[in-house]
Amino acid sequence: MRIRYYIAMRSIGERSTDPALLILSSLAEGPKHGYAITQDVEEMSGLVLRPGSLYGALARLEENGLIEALPADDRRRPYRLTGNGEEALRDQLQTLDRVVSTGLERLEVGTALG
Amino acid sequence: MSRRLARAALRLYPLGYRRRYGPELDALLEDSPAGALTVLDLLRGAIVAHVRPPATATAALSPGECIRSSSSAILACWIAFVAGGLGFYKTTEGPAFSRTGDAHIALGGPHLAIQVLAALASVAILAGALPLVLAALRQLPRHRVARRATGLAVGAVSLFAISTAALVVLANTVSTFSGGAAAAILAAWAAIALACGAACAIAARRGLFAIEVRKRELTTALALGTLVTAAMAAIALGTTVYAIALAVNSGALAGEPNGPLGVLSVELSIALQLAVMAVSATLATVTSVRGWRAVRSA
Repeated sequence: MRIRYYIAMRSIGERSTDPALLILSSLAEGPKHGYAITQDVEEMSGLVLRPGSLYGALARLEENGLIEALPADDRRRPYRLTGNGEEALRDQLQTLDRVVSTGLERLEVGTALG
Repeated sequence: MSRRLARAALRLYPLGYRRRYGPELDALLEDSPAGALTVLDLLRGAIVAHVRPPATATAALSPGECIRSSSSAILACWIAFVAGGLGFYKTTEGPAFSRTGDAHIALGGPHLAIQVLAALASVAILAGALPLVLAALRQLPRHRVARRATGLAVGAVSLFAISTAALVVLANTVSTFSGGAAAAILAAWAAIALACGAACAIAARRGLFAIEVRKRELTTALALGTLVTAAMAAIALGTTVYAIALAVNSGALAGEPNGPLGVLSVELSIALQLAVMAVSATLATVTSVRGWRAVRSA
C-alpha cells in the first residue's frame, strides 16, 4: 500500500515538475535563453533546473518542433515557442487543471460527508 | 574546482551535441553557480546524449564525421568489453573449470565459442584499424593533431607492454606474495591497463577526426566494427549461458571465492564482468546503427 502511494505521488510530482512543461510555461511569456529560463523556472516553481537537465529538455523540445532557436546573442541563444509548442502547452495545462479542480472538488465533498 | 569539473563533464558529451549546445552550456555555467549536483547532472545528461542523441545534435555533424564518430566509439566499446572479457578469462582459466567444461557441454560449448568469437573480433578490429592507421602515418607530416594522437597511442601501448612484462617477471621470480600484496599489484596493473585502453581510444578518435580518409575506407572500418559489435553481443550471450550453466551444474565451483583477496564469489565476478560486456555491446550496437544511418544519408 505504501509503495503504491509512493509511486502514485511520484508520478503526479513528475508530471507537474517535468522540465519540458516548465520550460514551455516559461517560454509562453516570450523568448528566453538558458540562464533566463532557469531563473524564471526557479521563481515560478521553486525548482532548480540544472544545465544538463535544461539542455536535455531543450534539445528534445527543439527536436519535436515545440520550440525553435533564434539567432545567438554572443554565446547565449534564445528560444521561443512554436505554434505546435503553444498547442501542446495548452493541452498539458488544461489536463493538469482538470485534475487539480476535480481533485479539490472531491476532497471538499469528502470532507463535508465526514 | 566544481566549475572546472563541470567544464570537464561538458567534454564527455557527443561531438554533435557539443557543437550545437556547447557554447550555450558553457555560457550558462559562467552565469550560474556550479556545485557537485551540477556536475552529476551534466554527467547524467552526457550519458543520455550518447545513448539517445537528439536529431538537432546529430544534424550538427556531417555524414563523414558521424561515421568517424561511430567507428571510434565502437573501438572504445571494444576496449571496455575486453576489460570485462579478460576478467572472465582469468576467472575461468583454472583446471577445475576445464574439468567442468569437459563434463558439461553447456559449459564447455559456450567457453569455446567465446574464445573463437573473441579471436575473430580481434582480427576484425585489426583489419578495420590497419588502413586507417596507415593513412594516419602517411599524413603525419601534415597534421599536428595526428602526430600527437600517434604519440599518445604509442606511449599507451608501450606503458601497457612494460607493465605487463613487469607483472609476468614478478609472478615468475617472486615465489610467495601475501594475499594483500598480490591484490595490490594486480589492481595497479588493471588500473594502468584501463588507463592505457582509454588513452588508445582517445588517440584513435582524435587521429581519425584529424586525417583525410576515403569514404570506402571509412565504410569498411564501420562494417568491420559492426562485425565486432555482433561478436560482442554473441560473446555476452555465451557468457550468460555459461554463468547459468555454472550455477546449475557446478554450484560449489560457482560459490568459490574469487577476485582480489577473494572478496567476490566466482558467480558474482562473472555477473559483474557480464554487466560490463552487456553495457559495452549495447552502446556499440546503438552507435553502429547510427553510423549506418549516416552512410545511407551520405
